[in-house]
Parts: sequence; structure tokens; C-alpha cells
Amino acid sequence: MVWKSFRPLLLCTLVVGVGLLADVRAMAAPETARATIVRAILTSDDAQKHTIINSLIGQGDEAIREIFTAWRQDNLYIYTAPNGAKIPVELTGDKDADGTQAAVRVDSGEPLKDASGQPLRLVAKQLTAVEHDASLRRVMKNVVDLLDLGSPLPAKRLRAVQTIGFAQKADKLPVLEARTGIETDTEIKKELREAIALIHLADPDDGVKIKALVVLQELHNSSSYDLINALRAKAEKDNKPAVTAAAHSALLAIDHHRSVVKFFGTLFRGLSAGSVLLVVALGLAITFGLMGVINMAHGEMITVGAYATYITQNVFGAGMNFTLPFIKIAIHLPGLHLTGWAYQLYFLVAIPIGFLSAALVGIALERSVIRFLYRRPLESLLATFGVSLILQQMFKLTFGSNNVNVDSPVYLSSNWTVFDVTFDWNRVFVIGFAVVIVFGVWLALTKTPLGLLIRCVMQNRMMASCMGVRTERVNMLTFGLGSGLAGLAGVFVTQLGTVGPSMGQEYIVDSFMTVVVGGVGSIFGTVVSALGIGLTDQSLQQILLNPVLGKILVLLAIILFLQWRPTGLFSARSRSLD
Amino acid sequence: MSLPATDRPYFRSRHLEFIVVGVLLLLLTVIFPLLNAHGLLSDFTITLWGKYLCYALLAISVDLLWGYTGLLSLGQALFFSLGGYMFGMYLMLQIGMLGSYAKSGQNPNGLPDFMVFLGHTFLPPFWRPFQSFGFSVLMVFVIPGLLALAFGFLAFRSRIKGVYFSILTQALTYGAALMFFRNDFTMGGNNGFTDFKLILGHSLVDNDTGPATMRGLFIASALVLLTVCLFCHWLNGTKFGLVRQAIRDGENRVLFSGYATANFKLFVFVVAAFIAAVGGALFVPQAGIINPDQMTPDKSIEAVVWVAVGGRGTLIGPIIGAISINALRSWATQAYPDSWLIILGLIFLLVVLFLPGGMVSLPGKIKALRKSQGKPVEPAVARA
Repeated sequence: MVWKSFRPLLLCTLVVGVGLLADVRAMAAPETARATIVRAILTSDDAQKHTIINSLIGQGDEAIREIFTAWRQDNLYIYTAPNGAKIPVELTGDKDADGTQAAVRVDSGEPLKDASGQPLRLVAKQLTAVEHDASLRRVMKNVVDLLDLGSPLPAKRLRAVQTIGFAQKADKLPVLEARTGIETDTEIKKELREAIALIHLADPDDGVKIKALVVLQELHNSSSYDLINALRAKAEKDNKPAVTAAAHSALLAIDHHRSVVKFFGTLFRGLSAGSVLLVVALGLAITFGLMGVINMAHGEMITVGAYATYITQNVFGAGMNFTLPFIKIAIHLPGLHLTGWAYQLYFLVAIPIGFLSAALVGIALERSVIRFLYRRPLESLLATFGVSLILQQMFKLTFGSNNVNVDSPVYLSSNWTVFDVTFDWNRVFVIGFAVVIVFGVWLALTKTPLGLLIRCVMQNRMMASCMGVRTERVNMLTFGLGSGLAGLAGVFVTQLGTVGPSMGQEYIVDSFMTVVVGGVGSIFGTVVSALGIGLTDQSLQQILLNPVLGKILVLLAIILFLQWRPTGLFSARSRSLD
Repeated sequence: MSLPATDRPYFRSRHLEFIVVGVLLLLLTVIFPLLNAHGLLSDFTITLWGKYLCYALLAISVDLLWGYTGLLSLGQALFFSLGGYMFGMYLMLQIGMLGSYAKSGQNPNGLPDFMVFLGHTFLPPFWRPFQSFGFSVLMVFVIPGLLALAFGFLAFRSRIKGVYFSILTQALTYGAALMFFRNDFTMGGNNGFTDFKLILGHSLVDNDTGPATMRGLFIASALVLLTVCLFCHWLNGTKFGLVRQAIRDGENRVLFSGYATANFKLFVFVVAAFIAAVGGALFVPQAGIINPDQMTPDKSIEAVVWVAVGGRGTLIGPIIGAISINALRSWATQAYPDSWLIILGLIFLLVVLFLPGGMVSLPGKIKALRKSQGKPVEPAVARA
């Protein structure tokens, strides 16, 4: 009871204490932007007002923008306190019945309070308005324009420098030059040099122009291309050979830089497209290349992996409900409701889950259908196509026929820019992942007991069986491995493409072609052909600017390639005829 | 490749089989149109069966390659659609001033509607000769035939066979479908050709004269099918036919016996392309539409399954398979739209696993089962 009655008093003490602290801090620190503006408002001399406001240039305080906006919209007033002190305030909010508005102190951004600590409400008409004329507004606009230059965020500073550079206004030059001295970020420094050079381009003196062009040539940034091009056209018309030549060589430098960037960009995209193809085709290289089974449902193993990722994501998040078709069993997966980094980890967890679920589906398929068809490869094509139709329809009935949304984890959704070439993390990840998987498969096939058994059963099933190898089991595990690899591919195509019931169909033709070109039975051949096809496809897309035509040309090239090497790049040599 | 005894077709003599097929087809040619003319059979049924007969032509082309020559081509849907597209170009130009753009006065040159939509103002040069019926029919043979010749020459020369041949034909079909999906290929893009009005001056859509035109198309399809059956029957009896089957059963032996197997295969491949293309050309006016969806590898595999279901390596099998599966589709897509693909997939699986000889081998299997029931069970030792 006693405590309750003391509470208001305690609160008051606290407020006063904090207020005192704030005052002490303000005294110690250099004058804030707000204080400078207050000084400008209270100065009666116009010239001095301009000087004070101009001293704000280079500061990045967002409050400047707010206050100047209020000033220009006639919302600033001077309130004279009972003790005679003049306090500039901003009147905000709606007027009530008496015409009063809430008042905010310009010097602190806090509500204006009377002696007892109650917020004051003021009537605009009873106060002195803070005035402004055209020249003052121009000065303020200049400060606001340059505000972002002083922003603590590098991205904002960068954009501000660019904007100023492209505007080519000579009056901004001193500010940019002053900034060059302060700036520490190397990228922004480069951008500052470019902006200054761009402003110099608009200089009437040809000597300055040529000097600027030399700088731009050195920087060869493609964003300055249009301005330089315009200058060249004008110089040509005015018959100024020196300027034309300088502009020309600057343009050449930019063009050269652009083509180098494009080349490496295409190389990178080709490598990542090849890596996707590689991981998709690697599973096929095992089931088709080693086992001789035409698994048309291989694409659906990819889909299994992708949906496994989708389900994992939902379990990490809010959970999900779905109904299995025909048997009408409703499944409820409770969500873990994770957020932040714990949620982002779902993708790493999905990798083994995708592998295992696809491998299990593959093993079920092998046991129920494929084991009857080892001697009839053409018929395995038909039967597995039937399986593919059934699985696709099942996915459609379970998860709906629309594409589902799989989030990109933070660690895959950004990029690096090295010398203007963009490296998306998801693509870098795909390439790294492909390397790991290929190495893993190579290890599994050559260094493990299972790998030995797989290779001997694939070479001569009958002989292996006679030596006591349980060929049935090896077949099952081999097919499981091939399908599991497709599932892995499915996990990370969720980061590159769409996830839907028919997504597997996009990859099936390409991956069969990859295995055939690489040489059936040769894992190394599959690696080479996947990267080759990926690179060719991406380069043709760049040259023809037309993805479909590029794809058709690649298919044609493959048909012609097989004329030259009918058994593919690296084929197992054998004396048998078929 | 040869099938076990119980999977062999029912007919002892291939002549008997041909007579049965011929009589059935002749009856179909006469009875269906007669019934339709007297109002006992709906116009819808006639058009539906006309389409089945075109599918039967596609199935025969698959059987010619797979059942008789051992080449599993997944490109037959491509040749079928190419034939359809060639004839479709003629039908598109016949629309002329009857199209919806021409009616509203936006199409003074009588272009196909999709071209007006894409902003063309005059007909691309390669379209012009398709004004002529004769030229279009010629192209129905020439274009698919040339493609089959070029592709077959390349494939068979480098001895691509078995599953590699399947995969390559699949890729060819896939590539072609991608091309036809493009709008700037001026073949109608996604939507293909549709909204046909006239064929040789006869209306396809008119309420009074339309059914008669459809009847005519039905009779034409049945007669073409009959002719193709006659041709296949004759071919099977020739030395050529025997060499072809020998290639299926042991290509290397045939090769070492001094036969240029590549030429035999190339000939069959081109003939099969012709048959599929004619089927496509007859299909388009009856279905009223042709688009790149018909061209995908999936459709080719489906046609292979018709043959597998009916019974490969027989004359009657593909016809039975094509008609029964498509009739089942017509019914199931209405009655169980969600399950149709699952039913189709199950048919694929069950036929391949349990009935490799197809429906034609069923009577033989039942007979064999009955015989073995009469006899005492063989001791298990004898098998091992």
C-alpha cells in the first residue's frame, strides 16, 4: 500500500534524472543538426541564416529532412515561453475544437511541455510563424539533396553520389571533393571519382572534358556509357577531334570491360547450369549407365526431393496438413515454429531428407517393377513411364497442381560482386555441391565394398551371382543410390527453379542426353558432358539472345556429335557386339 | 525379342488375321456412316470414331517400327503432328474472310487469325503454296518424310539402336515441340491451329452440311486405314518383310549375312513417318485443332502403349489398342477426371509386366491355362 502511493513520485524523479543525463550528454557532444537549425531559425540576418544552414552540408541526420520539410510547409512556429525564452516548435497532428495542435520542439524532437510537465497544445494563429523565401528554400533544398552523402549507410551514400554525378551540376563539385577527403569506403571513393569526372564532362572547357574522359576510361564503368556517348556525338557535330578521340577511347574501354564481364558471367552461369545438369544426370548415369534401366520416372525422383524440401521447410515453420489421395488419410505435420537462424537451417536438414526419401521411393520402385525388367530395357522405359504418370498425378492430388513456394535461406539468397561479375550464392553453392557429390560418388563406387559389388554386378550379373554376390540386393541398393542422387538434385533445384508436380519433366530429356553424350557407363564422361552441355547452352543463349533456339541447337549438335562418336565421349571398351 | 509361346498372337495364319481386319474395317466404313445418315448414330460418335481411326494409323506406324523391326521410336507423335500441321496450314488458309478478325474488318488480306493477332500484315512466303489442296497433301508426305530420311540416315548410319535410338527420337520430338511452341515460328505458337471452317469447299461447322463432311472424313479415314493394312499385310509377306523381322530378332546375324540393315531400317522409318503423317492430316479436320501439345514425347510413348496393349507385331493389335485405350480415355476423363492418368499409368505397368503380348495374346493364354488345368501338375523338379 505504501509502495503504491510513492510510485508517482519515484517516476518523476526518474524522468528528471534521465532528463538531466540527456542534458549533460548534449553539452559534451558537438552541436547537433537540430541545434544548428534552431540557431538558423532564431537568426534574423538572412546571409548568416544561409551560412548556418550551409554548414549542415555533409551531415547525414534524417531529422534535417523532416524539419526542413516542416519549414517549407509552414508548420514551424516560434513559441515564447513564460520566462521569455524563444523555442521553435513544429505544430503537428489534427486541430481539435479550439484549433490547438500538438507541439514538438525543434531542438529535441520531444513534445513541448509546460512547467508541470504536461504536453502543451498551441494555436497556430497565436504564434510567430517561421518565414522562408525563395533563396532560403533553394539553400535548404541543396542541403537535403546532399543529405544522403553523409548518411551512415554506405549503400545510401553510394546511391547519392551516383545521383549527383548523373545530374552533372557543377555547383555540387565542392561538396563531392570535400567528401572525397572524408570517405573511407573504397567503392564509394571510386564512385566519387566517377561522379566528379561526370560533372567535369559538362564543363565548357575542352581540356577539363578530356581529363575527365581519361579518368572515366580508367574507371570503365558501364553506367557512364550513355553520357560519354552523348558527349561524343555532340563533339563530332561541333568538330572537336580531341574530345571525340578521348570519348571514343573511353567508350572502347567500357565496351571491352563489358565484354569481359559478360564472358565471365556466362562462364559462371554455364558452370552452374552444368552442375545442375550434372547432379540430375549423375543419378541417371548410375541407373541407366551402370544398370541399363531406362527409368523415365527419374524426373519424379527429383520431384520427390523437391517436395521433401518443401515439407521440411513447413515443419520448421508453421507445420502443414495434406490428404493422401484415394485412401483419404489426412496427415497433420506439426510445425516447430522456428524463426531466425534456426529456421534458416531447414535447407541443410532437407539435404539428407531429400536423399533418403527419393532413395526409398526408388527402392520401392525397383522391388515392385524394375527387377522384372532387367532383360527388357525397352519395356522398362514403358513401365517406368507409367510410374511417372502415376507419381505426377499423385503429387498433383496431394500438393495441388500449382507450384509451391520454397524459401531461399539467407545464406543462399545473396551474391558477391567481384570485378562487376555477379556470383549468386545459390549458384556458387550448386557448383560446390556438385563437386562434393561427384567426389562422393567416385569414393562410393571405387573405395567401398558396396562400390566393388556394384561394379562387379554391373559388369557381369551372372558371374557375380555365381561368386556368391547377392545380386538382388546390390541391384536394389544401386537403384536406391541413383534415385537418392536425383532426390539431392531435387533439393537444390528448389533454389533455382519452380517446384510443382511436373517439374521432373523439365530435366528428363536433358539428363538422358547428358548420359548418352558422356558415354553410357562412364561417370567421368557424364561430368564432362554435363559441364560441356551447360556451357554450350548458356553461351548460345547469350549469343542468340533466345533460350529456346539455343536449346534446339544444342539438341541438334548432340545428334551430330553422336555421328562422330556413337558411343559417347568416354565409352567402356568391349569386344562384345551389343 | 521373340515372345514366349503363350504370348503369341491368337491368329494361326496371318492371312486369316488380315481377312478379319479387312472385314471389320469394311463393315465400319459402311455401317457407321449409314447409321449416322439415318440418325441412329450421333454426329459426335462419328467424329470420335474418326479420330480413333487416325490414332490407329499412328499406332500402326509405331507397330511397324517397334513390333516388326525392333525400333522403339518415340518420334511418331512428331510425324503425326507434322502431317497434321501441314494439312492444318491448308485448312487455316481456307478460313480466309470467315475468320473473326476479317468479320470486324481488321484483316483485309484474309490472314489466319493468329497472324493478325501477332501483328503480321501479309502472309509469310512459305505459307502461300498451302492455298492449294494438292500441294498441302503433297507436303503432308514430303516434310515428315524428309525429316525421317535425314534423321534416320544419321541415326542408322552410326548404328544407333535400342534405347539410344529411343532417347534420340525423344530428344528430336522435344526439340521440335519447343520450336512449334514459339510464336515467331508463325505456326500458331501455343494455341496452334483451330477454328477451321472449310475443306475443299465443304463446311466443317455448318449445322446442315457439317455432319455430311464429317461422314466423308470418317469414310476417308477408314479407307486409308484399310489401305495401310493391305500394304502392311503385303509387306509382311515379301522377302523385305522377312528381313525386317530378322533384323528385329538378331540384327548382327542379318548384318553378317550381307544385308545392309541400315537401309532396311531407313526405309521402314520413312514409311512409318508417312503413315503417321497421313493419320495426323486426317485427324486435324476431325478434331478441329492441332497444337504443339500433340507433339510431345509423352504422346509418342502413349502411342507405344496402345500398341503394347493391343499386341505388337500383329496387324490387328495396334488398331484394337488405339481404339480401346482412347475409348477408355473418353469415358474415364469424364467419369474420373482425377484418376485418368493413374489408370493409364497402371495400364502401362500391368501390360508390360503381365501381358507382354497384349490383348491379342489373351485368348491363347486362356486356352493354355485351361489345358494345364486338365493335366496333372508338373513336378517342380522338371523345371529346375
